[in-house]
Amino acid sequence: MNNKSMKKKRAISNAISYFVLILISIIWLAPFVCLFLQSLRSYTEGGGGMVEYLLPKQFSLDSYVWLFGEESKFTRWYLNTLIIAVCVAILQTIVVLCVSYALSRMRFKGRTFLMRFWLILGMFPGFLTMICLYFLLQQMHLTQAGAIPGLILISVASSGMGYYVTKGYFDTIPKALDEAARIDGASRARVFLTMILPMSKPIIIYGALVAFMAPWCDYVFASYVAFGYSDSYNVAVALQRWVWTNDYQGYFTRFCAGGFLVALPVTILFMCLQKYYVEGVTGGAVKG
Amino acid sequence: MKKKVLATLLASAMVVACLSGCGNDSTTPADGTTTGGDTTTGGDTTTGDDAAPAAPVEYGSGTITIWVAENVVEFTKAKAEEFLAANPDMSGYTVSVEPVGEGDAAGNMITDVLGGADIYGFAQDQITRLVSAGALCPIVADNASFVTSQNDEGSAKAATVGDMLYAYPMTSDNGYFLYYDSSVVSDPTSLEAIVADCEAAGKNFYMEINSGWYQPAFFFATGCELTYDTDDAGNFTACNISYATDKGVVALKEIIELQSSSAFQNGSSVSSGTNIGAIVDGTWDSGAAQEIFGDNYACAKLPSFEGSDGNTYQLSGFGGFKLLGIKPQTEEGKLAVCHALAQYLTGTDVQLARYNEVGWGPSNVAAQKDAAVQADVALSALAEQLAYTIPQGNYPGDYWTLATSLGDDIIQGNLSTSSSDDDLMNALTTFENTCISYAQ
Amino acid sequence: MGKEANSGKGKKSKGNSNGGFWADFKEIGLTFKEGDWKTRVSYLIMGFGPLLRKQFLRGIAFLAVEVLYIFYMVSFGWGYLKDIGTLGTVARVVNPNGTFSYNDNSFFILLYSILSIIITCAFLLVWRVNIRTNREAEQLLAAGKKLPTVKQDLNSLLDGNFDKTLLALPVTGVFVFTVLPIIFMICIAFTDYDANHQPPTNLFGWVGLENFKNLFAFGSTGFGYTFCIILMWTLIWAFFATFLTYFCGMGVAILINKKGIKFKKLWRTILVMTIAVPQFVSLLYVYKMFANDGLINSYLLKWGWISTRIPFWSNPMLAKIMIIVINLWIGIPYTMLITTGLLMNIPEDLYESARIDGANGFQMFRSITLPYMLFVTGPFLLTQFTGNLNNFNVIYLLTQGGPSSMALTNGGGYTDLLITWLYKLTINDTNYRMAAVLGIMVFVVTAVISMGVYNILPSVKDEEGFQ
Repeated sequence: MNNKSMKKKRAISNAISYFVLILISIIWLAPFVCLFLQSLRSYTEGGGGMVEYLLPKQFSLDSYVWLFGEESKFTRWYLNTLIIAVCVAILQTIVVLCVSYALSRMRFKGRTFLMRFWLILGMFPGFLTMICLYFLLQQMHLTQAGAIPGLILISVASSGMGYYVTKGYFDTIPKALDEAARIDGASRARVFLTMILPMSKPIIIYGALVAFMAPWCDYVFASYVAFGYSDSYNVAVALQRWVWTNDYQGYFTRFCAGGFLVALPVTILFMCLQKYYVEGVTGGAVKG
Repeated sequence: MKKKVLATLLASAMVVACLSGCGNDSTTPADGTTTGGDTTTGGDTTTGDDAAPAAPVEYGSGTITIWVAENVVEFTKAKAEEFLAANPDMSGYTVSVEPVGEGDAAGNMITDVLGGADIYGFAQDQITRLVSAGALCPIVADNASFVTSQNDEGSAKAATVGDMLYAYPMTSDNGYFLYYDSSVVSDPTSLEAIVADCEAAGKNFYMEINSGWYQPAFFFATGCELTYDTDDAGNFTACNISYATDKGVVALKEIIELQSSSAFQNGSSVSSGTNIGAIVDGTWDSGAAQEIFGDNYACAKLPSFEGSDGNTYQLSGFGGFKLLGIKPQTEEGKLAVCHALAQYLTGTDVQLARYNEVGWGPSNVAAQKDAAVQADVALSALAEQLAYTIPQGNYPGDYWTLATSLGDDIIQGNLSTSSSDDDLMNALTTFENTCISYAQ
Repeated sequence: MGKEANSGKGKKSKGNSNGGFWADFKEIGLTFKEGDWKTRVSYLIMGFGPLLRKQFLRGIAFLAVEVLYIFYMVSFGWGYLKDIGTLGTVARVVNPNGTFSYNDNSFFILLYSILSIIITCAFLLVWRVNIRTNREAEQLLAAGKKLPTVKQDLNSLLDGNFDKTLLALPVTGVFVFTVLPIIFMICIAFTDYDANHQPPTNLFGWVGLENFKNLFAFGSTGFGYTFCIILMWTLIWAFFATFLTYFCGMGVAILINKKGIKFKKLWRTILVMTIAVPQFVSLLYVYKMFANDGLINSYLLKWGWISTRIPFWSNPMLAKIMIIVINLWIGIPYTMLITTGLLMNIPEDLYESARIDGANGFQMFRSITLPYMLFVTGPFLLTQFTGNLNNFNVIYLLTQGGPSSMALTNGGGYTDLLITWLYKLTINDTNYRMAAVLGIMVFVVTAVISMGVYNILPSVKDEEGFQ
């Protein structure tokens, strides 16, 4: 009898839990579903602008066709972003690994000073220095036409400061391993390249994934560096203008379609590597 | 332990080398092209346009960047290339046309004048900002008489700051009027009727009351005044304002009443609106409006409204212009080419062609007389409205922010139908005093 | 210059390290007194000693640094550095033929002056190292040992000195693209660099503390009142954004972890999508959904749930609530991921014994789960909090800081954070002087909170706590 009521209680509580979870799922997915549906609206319906209903009356791939058509530079912007994302992911990962190894394994003079100094630097808001970075890049001819390498340079140059998670991971690899190899005559560089790196696959993937995802979102600095030269835009800059600038009438469905195409590969990649992401994020959080 | 030396050396050497390299570039600002190779001599054989530039011997070579709004990029590129083809002595130049809207252009030019475009389109309200940031080249002598002789008076005045002309007028249509759905709105002459029709049909009436550009339609309607005086350098010297008056209160009350309607929506962009019954907007949206209204597409001058004092007022507003400006140049040859090109792009033929392409209303007097222009629905609504508008002068950037604040105060209900006349008067007094504080 | 950050080591260096800076001076003097002529010449001609002692690599490197430094200063640096007091005197001029000539550019004068100062510091450091190299070489020779060969020097860069190899480029990068700009912007806070003083057309100059006075001026155009309002909202926002997300995220994690719930992976995957989809896509769309004339209002009206549209974005209070709620949508998946793993780490027998004692679910959460989680994630919460102080995207992509009001000045809006206000001042008004002041304020707020909280964190106080 007691057992039965317990069971009943558990069933009810499970039912409530499922209900909440389904509700949450709907809330979380709704905007993406809406976005996708809007992107399928035909151009003849509402002229590509906003409408106050969800389901298109006339489904069509107009917006997608337009994005890949002659008239639009969408593929160019997409490639720009992809190039930035890949370069940043590779270079930033290398920089972070180097810094993390040095800070985790080597004890040199000024080590704590360096770490504290970087911590304090990190407290200054990034946008503060926008105008200064713009002119620094401009002096190197890395704005407008050269904005793509410029953006890569900026993202990579200061990435050493983001070493926390990776260093935390290296700290968990026993030092005894290093010592043993060094007694066998291996140099630091050898230890780093042949022992530590292969053991750090999860954290490398995590770092690269995070670095890869950031440029897809970079609107602020990308628009500041690339202004007046549409060949150097990234997707965020270009799509943002369609929504915010009145010059672009009837671009709303195109924005939705473009947004969907941007979200798709990033999401798929993310889902595939989710395991590593969780590992990195959790490790980073506990290490602080 | 000692080898940190090496790392230090490497790092510092790299930086030093890199920066001194860049420095050399910057210390000799762009005088490389004056000795460009393939320059043709014998200057004043320019074909076509009447006002030939003051004949420098060589034009040099290089690239001329042009910024215009997205929808005229292709058009401008084609026309600019046409121009260069017709003037072989300027063929050392190539043009690069970029889509930078009138709003962004001014901001970007000000951020980095040297990195900005050589020729760029902008809306008239930005002109003082651009002049004081040194982003506009004065237009003098023959070039100036070209502007004044070919364009309507208002547009030439709009391109003037202090006593100096600073830009070539491109369009004369930067004003607003009413687009409406003729199946919804039966009487477009009365604001109350329009709002009532929209409410009844469950449609929205759009007007951007938190914009310093649309908002004065009400204040100017009741007879309030707001203008600024400037000196040659683009500094504001005085503010002539009469918002904090009984007339101002009538206007403010009307905005508040409009805002309280369930049909009212704050906005002025056709394609970000939904379920539009009527919208106060300009010619640049005519294509989108036709798309949305279809067969019921109609335009009219702005309606009149019955004020709280019982009088009827016709909505006023700004009549504005789009201008084409030239960045201050360091080379004489390029400067001449820029002037000639800007003149071509704002000349009669190109203005007409631009009208045919995208429907922008010409500022050129001859182009305005063209039959197609005269017959245009949107442009005739605008022309009708023109009788009630004031030509837009120069306003400080802070004014637009302040007007947004006033509009937001109305929208969020800080100023509402229940506010007393004293409250409204206080708000307007604050507004007026702040406006005055922008001019020293 | 790459080693500037390590200057601490120079000072504390050298075995008998008790004197710091003064000991350094003493050693420089001592080296000169006791050194041979090669060492002494090295004081003037860097690398002279090593070259003669056949340490060619070091010698050439030192010499190259000196030559490069002198070349840099003569050909470039000094030209700017000499004007740092005035930041330029001759602005743009108009030539008779209508063209323009650009002259002094205050921006570059200031920027390159700072760069020159940094490079000079770095040079002095190298000079100091140069002297020590000489001293060490002499000591080695005196002890009858051999000096390291070039090959040994190079090899050590991959072994004993591997840290220098690894850090050289990253540290240089940080110096050029982070330290230099930050010093530059701090200087800007003491100048009148704004729309009316914009190079290359106009000059700007030093104004002392005027901008800081303006920040605390409570007049009709002063920043004071608006600054206070925005600072308050920034703190309130960061508090709610951090803790609401944290607890809701933990709640969702507990829900998914619950025994008897199936498809755990599916639920997680659905939530995690918001992390993957770029925010400019999702947030811009969500903004449009909740607009006055957007989807949500239209459907609510159509279904008759409301009679007047809900002013989600135009009412300040509602807009603030909306931002916090939508931030939940963004933030919950993230905290859910983090807490999921940690929750499973809590020993099950703790719960068992509590259950035997008759504790219910909530009591167990309060006395076991929460303390553990707070302990473990303390530092994470702190970084989240400071991150939220500067959470630009959520605010800017949704409201752009609006709605504004005549009560607020200088473009500030009710949902502006300090950081979005700073951004708007930079972009819309090119008011760099006040943007720089705001940036310093953001730093002060972040630093005060970080330092204050960090020291009272349980996991910092008591490292062994829960283990």
